[in-house]
Amino acid sequence: MSAPNGSTAVAGELQLVSRQTQLKEWLLAALFFACAFLAVLAVALIFIFVGWRAAPIVSEVGLSEFLLGSVWAPTDGDFGIRALIQGSFVVTFGALIMGTPLAVGTAVFLSEIASPRIRSVVRPAVELLAGIPSVVYGFFGVVMLRPIIAEVTGGVGFGPLTASIVLAIMIVPTIAALSEDALGSIPMGIREASFAMGATQWQTIYKVVVPAAKIGIVDAIILGMGRAVGETMAVLMLVGGAPQFFSGVGQPMSTLTSQIVMDMGYATGTHRTALFGMAAILFVISMALVLTVRLLSRLRD
Amino acid sequence: MPRALILAALLVALAAPLSGCRDTGADSQLIVTGSTTLLPIAEQAAQGYQEANEGTSVLVSGLGSSAGIEAVSAGTSDIGTSSRDLKEEEGVLGLVDIPVAFDGIAVIVSPENPVDAVTTQQLQDIFSGKIRNWQEVGGENRRIDLVNRDEASGTREAFKKIVMADDARFDRSAVVLPGTGQVRDVVSHSEGAIGYISVGFVEPRFTDTRVKALKVDGVEPSEETVTSKEYPIARTLHFFTKGEPQGLAKSFIDYVLSSEIQNGVVVEAGFVPVTEGGGE
Repeated sequence: MSAPNGSTAVAGELQLVSRQTQLKEWLLAALFFACAFLAVLAVALIFIFVGWRAAPIVSEVGLSEFLLGSVWAPTDGDFGIRALIQGSFVVTFGALIMGTPLAVGTAVFLSEIASPRIRSVVRPAVELLAGIPSVVYGFFGVVMLRPIIAEVTGGVGFGPLTASIVLAIMIVPTIAALSEDALGSIPMGIREASFAMGATQWQTIYKVVVPAAKIGIVDAIILGMGRAVGETMAVLMLVGGAPQFFSGVGQPMSTLTSQIVMDMGYATGTHRTALFGMAAILFVISMALVLTVRLLSRLRD
Repeated sequence: MPRALILAALLVALAAPLSGCRDTGADSQLIVTGSTTLLPIAEQAAQGYQEANEGTSVLVSGLGSSAGIEAVSAGTSDIGTSSRDLKEEEGVLGLVDIPVAFDGIAVIVSPENPVDAVTTQQLQDIFSGKIRNWQEVGGENRRIDLVNRDEASGTREAFKKIVMADDARFDRSAVVLPGTGQVRDVVSHSEGAIGYISVGFVEPRFTDTRVKALKVDGVEPSEETVTSKEYPIARTLHFFTKGEPQGLAKSFIDYVLSSEIQNGVVVEAGFVPVTEGGGE
């Protein structure tokens, strides 16, 4: 029925096809906006809720006492989380030290070396690592890894070393996938130029391609770090739950995330507020990491 | 536009029976939450009770005594189980205390550890970090690896109250594990480790791993020494309800206190029945 109108529309002024189509277009746009908005709304609500529940910590414990206090013994009224923050960072950096070479190596292999056939096997395998539930990683760590670590370090096997090894495996898919994207975005011409200069494959990789993809790889590592800081279940099962400062890789520690889970079932009053305070700290850490990635991306462009 | 209306109507129609479901389910469902120590009693009693009473379901979960007390006072569970007494600040929650069994806490080490006996004072020094080598209590020259329970644990609370008197604090370098089973497993595999669990879990039950229970102040932990109150680290296991138990909760508690459970499941789990101990 819109056919006769269609020919006259050439004149330059746009004609309404049908009111129904216009409405449908508008509804779809609104639907997708709602989807995007919901994510923003969720972040905002969580942020407001956590902040609101955490705020009393300033008056009840004091910000410096909370952040810098060295004793976490909530039932005795000590709410210092410095040892827990240290624990989170020790475990995270341990995981990065072991996981980064593994993940970047995987990415270089997939992007530069592997034949399409091998790639079609290795890539899904790496992606599958991301799909394993973290409780399974934790269980694997407790049953398989802990006795070995106990043997090596002479303790009971719970501690940052055990947690870091398992976390290192867990962050490989994140870092590898993003690093591979970064390497893949380097134009083929750059590699060809390098080969034309007589460079070998290895020289091309470490002198040309990897440096060119540097910022993308750093992005990947930072996002992997975010994953490691926030990981809870596997760490809870392996780190030992002792809120003390680092005293050896085989000695138990505790982290922000694992302590929140361990305590939230029974925490009341100031203790509960302190847990929300720890959640707020985690929020700030992950926000800082995301912001760093944004800044780096801007640098790259 | 009419399509959106139909969609909305459909959603309402779908949601309606969901809210109805809850009302019919509430009466025949009992939620029991709390102590991991009490878990075997509660679970087996729940099973027996469900078999005897068609159409009822008793959901049992072990999250720690404090979690149980928190849940029952918040109304999210009907019965809270606890292996510790109420704390002073919990006295105002209006909970009714029903003792269901007695229990002793055994101090366990690896079977390879030559130490056989400790005193309560030595235990306090070990768990507060003053004694750090087995040599100081007559063992080998080996570091003591402390294995502690989480703060929600009733076993920890009871151990703290009895052993860690005089405001002694637990050493914070101890590994903290969230369950009796994990403590037992870790201690059984580590020569330098020391931990504590209910007397009822010392003998291998679901596993083939072994641990050794130490004599405390010269008394071997056993059902007899716990009943006779000779063994120093003993405690009462509780069920708590918010207000006097009624309906399904009352019927379930009566079942747990019946001789069928008390002389069956409770004894089998290594605890001491309340009926013999003259419930406090």
